Amino acid sequence: MTAVILDGIVLGLAFGLLGVGMTLVYGLGGVLNLAYGQIVVLAAIVAMIVIDDGRATLVAAILGVLAAAAIAVVLDLTLMRPVYRERGEERTLLGLLLTLGAAFVIGGVLSWRYPDGALYIYIAGDPLSILGVPMTRGSIWASVIALAVGALLLLFFGATTFGRGVRSVIQDEVGARLVGINPSFVRTVIFALSGALAGIVAMTNAMVGPLTVNAGFELTTFALIVTVVGGLGSVAGAFLAGVLLGVVNSLSAHYIGQYITTIILLGAAALTILIRPRGLLGR
Amino acid sequence: MDLSWRRVGWALLPIVVTAAVLVILPPVWFGDSPYTTSLAVQAMVFASYGVGFNLIFGSTNQLFLCVGALAGVGGYGAAILVNETSLPMAAGLVVGTVSAALVGGLLSWIAVRRSLGIIFTGIVTLVFSLAFANLLLGQRDLTGAENGLVVEGVPDRLADDHVGGYYLFVGLLIAFLVVFRALQLSHVGWAFRALRDDEVAAELAGVDVARYRIYAATIGSAMIGLTGALLAFSTGFISPATYSFDRVDVRVLVFVAFGGLGMLLGPVIGASVFAILDEQLTTSFETREVLYGVFIIAIFLGFRRGVVYAVVKLVRRFVPARRVSDATG
Repeated sequence: MTAVILDGIVLGLAFGLLGVGMTLVYGLGGVLNLAYGQIVVLAAIVAMIVIDDGRATLVAAILGVLAAAAIAVVLDLTLMRPVYRERGEERTLLGLLLTLGAAFVIGGVLSWRYPDGALYIYIAGDPLSILGVPMTRGSIWASVIALAVGALLLLFFGATTFGRGVRSVIQDEVGARLVGINPSFVRTVIFALSGALAGIVAMTNAMVGPLTVNAGFELTTFALIVTVVGGLGSVAGAFLAGVLLGVVNSLSAHYIGQYITTIILLGAAALTILIRPRGLLGR
Repeated sequence: MDLSWRRVGWALLPIVVTAAVLVILPPVWFGDSPYTTSLAVQAMVFASYGVGFNLIFGSTNQLFLCVGALAGVGGYGAAILVNETSLPMAAGLVVGTVSAALVGGLLSWIAVRRSLGIIFTGIVTLVFSLAFANLLLGQRDLTGAENGLVVEGVPDRLADDHVGGYYLFVGLLIAFLVVFRALQLSHVGWAFRALRDDEVAAELAGVDVARYRIYAATIGSAMIGLTGALLAFSTGFISPATYSFDRVDVRVLVFVAFGGLGMLLGPVIGASVFAILDEQLTTSFETREVLYGVFIIAIFLGFRRGVVYAVVKLVRRFVPARRVSDATG
């Protein structure tokens, strides 16, 4: 039982980290980035190429994260400009469709050029015993990184001037503009941050198991579920929802069966939308 | 009375022309090639899905990202019923169509009751698509999971690489177009236009927005379900891939958007253009995926109201419309 719950928490932290990048971009301008999973895969493939080239894993991981951040900035500066010119539902819809197109382009190019591409970061060392349950070093590292990133994000949004500026844009775009904050600059920075988070997700996921080139769509789906359940735009909500869903996932995978589990997770997302559309911690 | 019959005649003209073109295509072009015929059948199937989607999204702004799943409800519903019992194919078609209509109507009812916007409707229906795909994989005994399901009781000449199969789907498509046009001409179409242009204003003018949304979703889903069921019998084999999100929904979205959302012939034009493109480009699945991505981006950045609309507008610029001179004269 402890082992199952611990597994769930490890998985949940990964879910939370996955959801946080999507939720930030949505909170900031109402764009659900459907290319998010493909950006994660892009980071993994870049890291794989660098590792195959004989460089150190750490260098590869950093380059992967930077590549993901770079592609996110490119998306923001090209596709997202006309999106942000729209308002309300028009904006959300156009953002959804354009990022869906971007997802197909990025995913298609990657699986065409690297059909067998996969990233697995093996972390040497014996399993450590936590609460009497042996855990692999990879999943411990992944969880620690996820927690650290979550803490840094909360610190950034709570205690820095720029972070407060971001929150003011989330609350009221026009008002933020009136007090001298440039929303489009803030959005570009957050898009880059979201891309970097996608890159970090790629690395932590690869520490737990191989991340293959076709994983993009599934990753986007899980990010979407976490985002919706946690509350669109809420960092803490994404992690809370991630851990909750992670524990539910491993409990039901252990006691009921894997295929029902996915349906339970999807059902949780649908129920959240129907009962509490703001999500757990959304405004 | 005379005038209104003429109006109906004019309104049906595009459908008659489309039907004529589609009917004479096999003898003049691809009748003897099973490969090209099966591509043409694909185009007709997707155009039929497209008419249903056009009714739901194009007419009443409900983003249903579950066209594949609705078709799958129809297809698997019909196939399982006919395989498990000794009922005839027609019973399977009816059950498949009705189940898809009920599911679509229910989704729309939920969306309307909870007043979900476009986005949440999209997410809920996407979640439904994924759950349905998982259900297909999980119910191995009934669906055969990824190995697929062989569907019995199909007459050979209606198979999807025979001209008979092609005419079957042309007939289906024309019937859908007539229904779509009839809805447009009736008070329902008036309500659709009102609620699409401005929901609040429509509600204030006495249009029961909720009811018309559910109508559109039910009828559109019935069309999608019937197409899916007919496809199951025509190909004689279905698998989750037949109705998967990336194989069906994405293409339907591209085709309908290419032709023009809410336009009568939008889905037909979109599906035909892409079928020709598919025939010319014998590339891999991945490069096609890239191409679709580029098309989605280009369409929604450049031609928000569809390529047909853009062409019409361009022509209007050079050829002054007759209606304008009538109005001024």
